[in-house]
Amino acid sequence: MFLNGAPADTLNYMLLGFGVIFASMAALIVSMIARFRNLHRDLRYLDELGQTDSEG
Amino acid sequence: MEPMPKALKALNRITGVLFLAACYMVLFYAPREAVMGDVQRVFYFHVAAGWVGALAFLVTAVAGAVYLRTANQRWDHAALASVEIGVVFTFINIVTGSIWARPIWNTWWTWDPRLVTATVMELIYIAYLMLRQGIEDPDRRARFGAVYGIIGFLSVPVTFLSIRLFRTIHPVVIGSGDPTAEGSFDMTPKMLQAFLFSLFTFTFVYATLLWHRIRLQRLSETVDALKMKALAG
Repeated sequence: MFLNGAPADTLNYMLLGFGVIFASMAALIVSMIARFRNLHRDLRYLDELGQTDSEG
Repeated sequence: MEPMPKALKALNRITGVLFLAACYMVLFYAPREAVMGDVQRVFYFHVAAGWVGALAFLVTAVAGAVYLRTANQRWDHAALASVEIGVVFTFINIVTGSIWARPIWNTWWTWDPRLVTATVMELIYIAYLMLRQGIEDPDRRARFGAVYGIIGFLSVPVTFLSIRLFRTIHPVVIGSGDPTAEGSFDMTPKMLQAFLFSLFTFTFVYATLLWHRIRLQRLSETVDALKMKALAG
């Protein structure tokens, strides 16, 4: 593979490597955004609940 | 929850630009390696991801030590946030190493000291995240996390030094010279620039993610406290 003088054809492995890098980083960021959204939704519910209790 | 600070918004933009520039340098600016071909380009982000993993676990150990002295929950938030980021980047480091090894070593995996110590380190910090989930009391959980983070950090220098202390086929990039290493290469000036720029960029990526993750943890604590209050009321 490495003895013919030209660089080895390893493009597919490179694409796979960068695919893993970008996908892993995207997964972390998407997971953080999803958790932020869920917590903000919980916060809104808790605010509404507090207002309902104070009115009742 | 307070709005996103201007400094964090600026850091987001700077990190985004740096990351795009790093991708350009790695994919187009750095020359193709003469023997290994394109797969060698993975090396730049592979090492940078390993660096972020080690840095993240160092921050966890330091934050743990400060928590034990001050009992301030903010340091526990920082330690937890850092572990989560460190685990993801160590995962990237291990998997990209395996992908690089397939055409260069002709195998996805070998029981080499570096591969084993890196995987053990990753498992130690995955266990940190799992074990924390099992402790209800926040103070006890934070104390446990702090002590575990400090002791667990021992795995980081062991991983770093494994290719220098033991017989291994893993290339030593910094201070190279082991003739038994397989896949070693000499960096041209452009390769070195791409490598150093990747390390610099990933440090910014880590700082940005850490800041966001700490804010997420603080929001989570606020919501938990409000839930407890609502249940008690």
